[in-house]
Amino acid sequence: MSKVQKSSKAARGTVTCDNTTMHLLKANDFVAESIRNKMAEQNILLINITSSAGSGKTTLLQETARRISDKVKMKILVGDLETERDANRLRETGIDALQIVTGGICHLEAQMIWQGMESLDLEGVELLIVENVGNLVCPASFDLGEDYRVTLIATTEGDDKPKKYPRMFLTSELMLVSKVDLLEYLPFSVDAVVADARDINPNIGVIEVSSTKDIGIDEWCNWLLEKVAEKQKAKEEAAI
Amino acid sequence: MHEISLVQGIFNALEDAFSKEDLANMTDIYLQVGMLSNVEPTLMQNAFEAVTLAEEKYQEVKLHVEVIPVEVYCSDCDINSTIKNYKFVCAQCEQPNNNVVKGTELSVHQVHFEED
Repeated sequence: MSKVQKSSKAARGTVTCDNTTMHLLKANDFVAESIRNKMAEQNILLINITSSAGSGKTTLLQETARRISDKVKMKILVGDLETERDANRLRETGIDALQIVTGGICHLEAQMIWQGMESLDLEGVELLIVENVGNLVCPASFDLGEDYRVTLIATTEGDDKPKKYPRMFLTSELMLVSKVDLLEYLPFSVDAVVADARDINPNIGVIEVSSTKDIGIDEWCNWLLEKVAEKQKAKEEAAI
Repeated sequence: MHEISLVQGIFNALEDAFSKEDLANMTDIYLQVGMLSNVEPTLMQNAFEAVTLAEEKYQEVKLHVEVIPVEVYCSDCDINSTIKNYKFVCAQCEQPNNNVVKGTELSVHQVHFEED
């Protein structure tokens, strides 16, 4: 078996390739690693928020911004196929948000985040949140250089989602069960969704939230602030 | 959902690794896609045919897609287990385990070129 390298010798017969050099998402992963390094240098916590469309990501982030933007300097990058609507909603809370319009692409790629970062002034920023395109499939495959991936699942969606979209839940640090104020009207079991998610990822954290009825928002914000503090601590330790 | 751009990724990877002359002799591409890669083999085949037709290159090349099951490695038992029904546990000790060692592949595994 010969390794692939461009040589003057003509390739004949079957050539076995190196799985890392011939990885189809190699370009994305390379940019993601550059983002990770840049974020480490500047001690910015990068969070990638994913979910199906309509599970309440933007509403949660509006509430989050109102709650913690005086405690931590934060900015948001938000991806959608079309329109500036979500960024406008987020700016209403007084924070800096940049819309990434993917023009039909069903997920955000690392290159889009890199470009977004260049348009945002990141001086002094401690928390950068990426609100991904609403889709539990493709965004799971694209590393954006984030520290943590957080996935929302709304009570209006059905409690069988994790096993339908295993990779997303496998790679998420935290699952937010959203719209829990509607639980009494819906055939949705929090226990079932947690059990399903933990079959895939035994370590996944769970917080039940309702952005409109103020349930679990403090717990979620505290989780974020704790992670920001950890990232900032790395800076102090490096300075010693 | 993004199979077209993945097909473009196949060509980019190949064009990085091989010369134009080599690629003119290419007959088969063997792709490995893990069960966790979210790639649907049939859609990948369709996308491949669409792209090769439109770009009028590699039209004679056959794409073979091999699906790789998910495996986890348990360090206590020192064994790999194949994951069934997305229940991530070690087959021996039955402890939860998401130390995935196989199943996320999305790469060109082999390429076949015409013999002289």
